[in-house]
This record gives sequence, structure tokens and C-alpha cells, in this order.
Amino acid sequence: MNSNTIDPIQPNPTKSANFGKRLRSILFSQEGILFIILMIVMAVLSQLNENFLTSSNLLNQGRLMSEVGLVALPMTFIIITAGIDLSVGSILGLSAIVLGILWKNVGLPLELAIVLCLVIGSLAGLVNGLFIVKLDVPPLIMTLATLALYRGLAQGVSQARSVTGYPEWFYIFGQGRIFGIPTQLWLFIFGTIISIIILRRTTLGRYLYAIGHNPVGAKFSGLPVSRVLLTIYAYSGFMAALAAVIFVSRVTTTRSDMGTGLELDVIAAVVLGGTSIFGGKGSILGTLIGLILIQLLKNGLALSGVTSDATIIVIGTVLILAILINNFVQSRREG
Amino acid sequence: MTPSLKQSQLQPNKLSFLIVLPILLAIAVLLTYQFAPFVNQPELGATTISKLTETRSNNEFKLSTNGFILIPIAAFITLFLGLWTLTNTQLNRAASILTALSGVLILEYFVVFWMKYSDSGGDYLSAMAIGFWTLLALAITMILQVFIPRVVVAKEFQLRSLVANQESAIILALILLVVVVGLINPRFLATRNILDILQGNAYIAVAAIGMTMVIVTGNIDISIASLVGLLAVISGRLAVADAPILVAWLVPLFVGAGAGAVIGFFVAYLRVPSIVVTLGFLSILKGILIIWTNGQRVTDIPPAFYLAQMKPLGIPMPIIFMVVLTIGAALWMRYSGIGRSFYAYGGNAEAARLSGFSEKRILMQVFILNGVFVGIASVLYASQLRIIQATPPPGLELFVITAVVVGGVSILGGKGTVIGAMLAAILLNTIRSGMIFVNISPFWIQAVQGILILVTVLIDLIRRKRQLS
Repeated sequence: MNSNTIDPIQPNPTKSANFGKRLRSILFSQEGILFIILMIVMAVLSQLNENFLTSSNLLNQGRLMSEVGLVALPMTFIIITAGIDLSVGSILGLSAIVLGILWKNVGLPLELAIVLCLVIGSLAGLVNGLFIVKLDVPPLIMTLATLALYRGLAQGVSQARSVTGYPEWFYIFGQGRIFGIPTQLWLFIFGTIISIIILRRTTLGRYLYAIGHNPVGAKFSGLPVSRVLLTIYAYSGFMAALAAVIFVSRVTTTRSDMGTGLELDVIAAVVLGGTSIFGGKGSILGTLIGLILIQLLKNGLALSGVTSDATIIVIGTVLILAILINNFVQSRREG
Repeated sequence: MTPSLKQSQLQPNKLSFLIVLPILLAIAVLLTYQFAPFVNQPELGATTISKLTETRSNNEFKLSTNGFILIPIAAFITLFLGLWTLTNTQLNRAASILTALSGVLILEYFVVFWMKYSDSGGDYLSAMAIGFWTLLALAITMILQVFIPRVVVAKEFQLRSLVANQESAIILALILLVVVVGLINPRFLATRNILDILQGNAYIAVAAIGMTMVIVTGNIDISIASLVGLLAVISGRLAVADAPILVAWLVPLFVGAGAGAVIGFFVAYLRVPSIVVTLGFLSILKGILIIWTNGQRVTDIPPAFYLAQMKPLGIPMPIIFMVVLTIGAALWMRYSGIGRSFYAYGGNAEAARLSGFSEKRILMQVFILNGVFVGIASVLYASQLRIIQATPPPGLELFVITAVVVGGVSILGGKGTVIGAMLAAILLNTIRSGMIFVNISPFWIQAVQGILILVTVLIDLIRRKRQLS
């Protein structure tokens, strides 16, 4: 932080030096480093397989990435506030089951079932938020509890039976295209833009960083900490439910074990994107690059004949290495 | 100072309902034992002790050897502890008396059964059923109550102090659970089932020891399921490859320690948050496991390898491991310098550093020890069945973390014991087994697990509020 402020006594640096400085600060920011890594990965992967860098392949990868991506947006917010939401995978499962049960067993119109599914997801997130805010339960514990609870509800309500046979129009969310681009990718792009605006251009965004840096300080400065936290946890639940609708539509069936382990993928992408697990630092852009990096690594390695199990080794290594490189660069910059 | 606290300070010697309640409870147990039908006999149906005594020629009771040795030992220890603590004026007198009383009751019924039924077939413990288990649990609670007067300095027996620490709260929950499920379905109380419950979760309790240490220092390890999967296969393959059995058992401990050292190195020296490192290792270890084994499970393991199926003195090996390791680790963490340093570091890392503790050394020790305990757990896991799956046990890390958290270990670090974690692991399995016996669909188990964490958190909250006020 201090390195960016210009000493007033010294003469203003020349314009080109200023530009060079800005370029360096962009390049050596977390996003810059990640972007460079992403470019290298893409270059290597496109050399390995000619089908990798085709628009149809990339769009398809965008389709597969959207579910994790949608959930990763609020997760970025939450981790910036030094919280965490482990229950997103279970909320996804619960919402999917609610959707299936309400439509098939209760007999509601599918449109209404979708709306209720989103409501339930938001409520599930809100419950997390309420316990965290009102009762001061650590987010890790609270969402660990609801990780089990919501998954258990999904399994208990459905008795592990699946729901299939959705009408044709429903598949537009998960399998359709609008203007040649997968529907869910539109949703994801839209969500990303909104999230970037919230984080960079609104007071809510500034509050998130303030809470993450110093929650006590934020409270005493009169920031609406409770309301902000409630909002982002409910947002997280909403996005998980939206991802559930897309997921159900994509795979044409509802099962109670949907989204198991989703939280790990999401957190990996967010952390890879440079959002500090200790809070106060991070960006949607970083998360976006993290998501793309993981998805392309998976896809590119699979296309090159690497088994999916080897891929998870690579992703795990990349995750740790990216954090290491970032730690190293940041400490050099500060030192 | 709130008025409620002042009042209780003013009248410490009042004979309150709370003092009398446990005594009433004990009398109720005694009476139930004597007169209420509590044993299901094939010929007699539900029956009482006096009736059984009359018709002993038709029944099939026998003391199995381990019951023959262990029950009097347990009874004498309980009795002795009760009498001994009674002489100590610092300790809770009502609890001491009840402890001694429990010992006497257990002894009495042991003698009754031994005299009447020592030479016919049957299962002693299942015959003793509810009464025996209630008494034993009561005795254990009392012992704990006497020895752990932590929050409230026990001048009088207060029911509230039963839930003042997480360990006794869990025991209370266990007793309630066992009694309720036992009343609905007495078969739940059969010795075989009780032993199954205890040994089924033993490897989780062992893994929870390491996890407790990690969480006490304010870190977390979410990679242990992958590590257990990998170490189990290493162990099994060594055994299949005709390595000496001892090697097959010990290598996972060293490999686990190695993996722990690598994780610890990242956390301590490279300053990567433990949740990120272990998130990475979760993928890496899982990938290694699946590529290495190609998803093929290990079969044809030599019988000598089955550590978890051995029964020295009639007690299943996993239970011995669980109890011995947990007690050992609890004492070690409480009284050794290294163990204390974990709590110091977890309670206040800055203060610990300024007091001269080496942060790096503490973190390395914690993660290496965690690796060793995961190694032990994976040998127990590997040897409990005749095949070893080549996938990480699903959801294991969550189960272990749940056990640790429900056991009262604070995720913020610096607080909690391994005994609590072990009891919570037992509680979780008791619930799972109990649900089957009262015909609740096992699909609800995860929901119950979640509610359990929430209840723990809420109890802890109330407890902290009370301490503050």
C-alpha cells in the first residue's frame, strides 16, 4: 500500500516512468501474474492438441464452468470478508431436490417450482448468515454444520430417489444457446459484470473489504456489518440454487448427491484467483481467471490424453504454486 | 455481576432440587432394576431380576470371560474412586457418593449374576442390559464430574455443571440416547452391537486425535481422506507383496509423517494458509492414489495383516487403539511441554512467539504428528475389511472435523481435548446405529450430524455467555 503513494517532496516522475510503474504494478498484481500463467498454459495446451483452441470447445468449457463460476462470485465476496461458505454444494443439492419434488410430487407448475427453488436456496444462505451474524458462530463451523444439514435434508426428503422427465423447454438453461453462446454462460457473464460493479463501484463493495480487513473496526465505524454479511450469505445461497437449476437442466435429472464437493472446486478457484483466505483482499477478475485456468487445465489435459485423475494432481499443484509465486512476488514488492 | 450469580453465592449450601436429583435418579435406576421388566428372555419374555432368580433353571445366562474379568475391575475402580474422592474436601461430595454407589450397584449385580448363572450359556452384558449400561455411564459421568470441575468450582452438585464442559455434555447425550433407543428396541443394547458401535468409529477417533492437535493450533487439514485412502493401499499392497507384517503396519506411519512434514513445511516456512495447502493436497494425493492403483482395490491380503480384527483379551483391537491413544494423547497434550505449546500457540500465536516458542517448530510438530495419527488410522481402516478400496473414504475429513468440533475443540484454536473428540466420534456412530434400530431412514443421518454441530455451537454459546456474565 505504501509503495503506491508518491513522496510529495520529490519531483513528479515523468510520464513514461509513471506508465512503466503502472504497467509493472498491473503485471505483478495477483491478476497479472495469474493472467501470465493462464496465457502460458493456453499456449502449451494449444500446442499439445489442435482441438483445444477452437471456439466450439471453448464455448463448451464455458458451459461446464458456469455452475462453479456462478457460485464462485458470492464466494469471492464472502472470502473477502474473511468468511467462508462450505455449504454451497449442499444448498445446490437441496435446491435441486426442492425443484424436483415440488414439480413432480407436489405438482406445481415448473416455473413456480424454479422460483421456489431459488427462494429456498436464498433462505438456506440466509440461515447461515443469521447464525454467523446474530450468534457469532464462526463461518467455518456454521457452514460445516449446514453442509451436513442441507445435504441430509436433501437425502432425507428425497430418500435418495431421483426425479426425471422434465419438459423440453426447461433444458434451455443447461443445454440451450442464445445467440450461439450457451445460456448459462450468459447468466455467468451477467453475474460477473454485476459482481465486478458491486465490488468496485458501490459502497457495499468497499464495506466488504473493510469488514475483511478489520471486522471490529468496521463495526465501530458504523458500517452495517450485519446487513452486509446477511446479504452476501443469502446471495451465495441464491447463486447455489441458480446453479442447481442449471445443473438439473444440463443433466436432465435431479439427484440428492448433486453438487457434492462443489465447495472445494469453488474455493480452489477463488483462492487461486488471489483472494486471501484471511480476508480483505481479492477481486472478481482474479476469481474469473482462476476459474478459467482450472477449467482449461482440466479440458486441455483431458484432450491431450491425460486421465482426469492426473489432472487433479496438476490442479492441486497449480493451486499451491500460484499461491507460492504470489506470496513471493508480493513480499518482493513490499520488501 | 448479575443478581442471579449473587444469589447463588449467598446460599451455597441450600439443599436444592439439583442436589437431590441425581440421588433420586440412582434410586430410580435401582428400583427399575429390581422390579421393572428389563430383560427379554426367550422363554420368559420381559422379566425382572427376582423372577429370573426363581426360574434360573430355564435360562441361558453366562458370564463371558472378559465380562468376568472386566466388570468387577470396573466396579472396584468406580467404588474406590468414589470413596477416595469422598475424603477430598475440595471435590464434589454428592458426585463422590454417587460414584461409590454406582460401583456398589455394578458389583452387586455382577455377584448376583455370577453366582446364579456362571455355568450356563448366554451373554452377560446383554442380560444386564439397560440397567448395567445406565449405571456404568452414570459412574463414568460421576468420575468425570468429580475430576473435571472446570468452570464451576464444585461446592455443590449442580445439574448445570454437567453441561459445563463438552465432555460431560456428550456423555449425558450418550446416556440419554442409549436409554431411549434401548427402551424402544432392547436389541440395541446387545454387547455385540455396543462393541460394533465402539469399533466402527475407532479409526475416525484416532484420526481425530491428530486433527484435534491441528485445530488447536488454529489450523485445519482437509486432505486426510485422501491420505487415509493412499496409506491404506500402501499398507495393503505391502502386505500382499509378502513384506513382514510389521513393515506393512509401520510404513504408513512414516509415509503419513512425511506427508505431514511436507504440509507443515508449506504452512510453517512458506506461509501458505493450511486450508489452501491441504485443499491442494486433497487433489494431489487423491490423484496419486487413483493413478497408482488404477482404481483397483487390494485383495488377497494375508490374514495376519488384519490388525483391526484381532481381539486380545476379547476386546477388539480398534477399541484398544482408540482408548489408549486418546488417553495417552490427552495426557501428553495436557502435561508435556510440547503439548502445552500447542495450546499456547493456538490461544495466542503472537504471545507464544514473544514468549520464545518457535512458531515453525510447533507447526511442523503438529502436522507431522497429525500424519502419524492418520497413518495409524489408515492401518485400522485398511485392516477392518478383507478388501481395501482404492478410493478415499468419502466424507471422512468432514466426519473427523465434525467429531473434533462436536467434541468441543474451538476452530479458533487454543481450546479443546482429544477425549471430547473421541466421545463425539462415538456419539456420532451411536446415533447412526440408533437410527437403524428405531427404524429411521439412514438418509437422515447427515441432517442429524448437522443439527448436532449446531446444538454444540449453541451450547458453547450459552456457556460462554454465562462465563462472561
